[in-house]
Amino acid sequence: MISKKVFMSFLFLAFMLAPVLDAQADEAEGTVALPRDYGNEDLDTFFETDDIYDPLESMNRVFFQVNDKLYFWILKPVNTAYTAAVPIDFRECFGNFFDNVAAPVRVVNNLLQGKFADAGIDFSRFMINSTAGVLGLGDPALRSFGLEPKPEDFGQTLGVWGLGEGPYLYLPVFGPLTLRDTVGFAGDSLAHPATYVLSKPLEGAAYYSADKVNLLSLNPDLYEDMKRYSLDPYISMRQVYLDYRRNKMLDRAVKNEMINQL
Amino acid sequence: MKYVQALLVLVFCSFLADSSALAVPGPTEQLKPTLKVLIDILLDPAIKGDEHRVERRAKIMGHVSQRFDFREMSQRVIGREWKNLSPEKQDYFQVLFTKLLENAYIGKFESYSGQEIQYMGERIKDDRAIVSTQIENNGQLIPVDYIMIKKEVQWMVYDINIEGVSLVRNYMEQFKSILRRDKFDGLVKLLEEKNRTFE
Repeated sequence: MISKKVFMSFLFLAFMLAPVLDAQADEAEGTVALPRDYGNEDLDTFFETDDIYDPLESMNRVFFQVNDKLYFWILKPVNTAYTAAVPIDFRECFGNFFDNVAAPVRVVNNLLQGKFADAGIDFSRFMINSTAGVLGLGDPALRSFGLEPKPEDFGQTLGVWGLGEGPYLYLPVFGPLTLRDTVGFAGDSLAHPATYVLSKPLEGAAYYSADKVNLLSLNPDLYEDMKRYSLDPYISMRQVYLDYRRNKMLDRAVKNEMINQL
Repeated sequence: MKYVQALLVLVFCSFLADSSALAVPGPTEQLKPTLKVLIDILLDPAIKGDEHRVERRAKIMGHVSQRFDFREMSQRVIGREWKNLSPEKQDYFQVLFTKLLENAYIGKFESYSGQEIQYMGERIKDDRAIVSTQIENNGQLIPVDYIMIKKEVQWMVYDINIEGVSLVRNYMEQFKSILRRDKFDGLVKLLEEKNRTFE
């Protein structure tokens, strides 16, 4: 029996890198037939915008240090042990499994944003992968049917509905977020099957931790590379998070529209 | 008669000018061979491994500097401050920043094992262009955009954008707060220290 205390600390750590790791999870997001665009800024003014709202920077920086310690003291050793114990093929299958279980979140958010065709694609993916993909361990929907996931989350939905990002936050354990994404994260748990199947909060937390540790094991160098290559890791992380989230907000149709305008 | 002759010459010349303008290869066409050469160097068994690192890096940087505009990048990461710096300081900063990019990204690139680069399309507006590519890593498709600027007839890369995350803007934001706090000399010191950590 794992004691409750040990369990909770494990869970905390797994949460920590969640948003950064999510950045790697939606691999098919960028597969567009037409060239992508930077955003609604023109190429020439791209670097002149100053649109970072970080009023809590000094507090955020403290938590950045805290999470950094947690990463090296606990999450990294856990990940090293896990990676040594579980072969890569299994970890990729587990990754597919976690992705597949989260399909309702994507379906619901596509619906909330009025993207009915995308919602249908993610629903089909869920049906195919849950059956032919053996409980979601494989991804025949992509490999055999060419159906790419359409990742949407409630943070993006809120953005589409017109809610601003709000201040940038660097939370203990959770890592980088904006206020909008924090609300979105809480909202998405309502659409996640694990919330209902695993009724005890600890079980849900265990599930979530396992998901995130598995994800980290597939992208082990992410955090340390970022630290190694930057002069100010806090700012580098903030920029990566904001760039990545803002890019995700731009949908294919919007991107194509902007291409036509150029 | 003279008039007609002059006109003919003029027409002929304008044709020449036109066709030479058409003959300049587009950004994708210019980028492709550079990336191809880089991959060939990385996969060359004769200079593989740690013992050939210095030689390999020198070879890579030789090719990279013909297609990647480190001057432009340096200017952009410094921002407005740039024009207040003496030419010597500008040059020295460029050396340091180029070295950092070499250490960080060429180092990372060295683990490359032959994944294919897919060219997804290009977009040109005046003297700027975006070339969109995709590369597969651990079963994940990663979109990589090369942002280019036209100098004379050369299309030069001045930023790389991976899944919406801009390399130059990331450094620019970091340097902005360092410049505010420690001024240019402080930034130079930090860069020197950072580069030493890769040795």
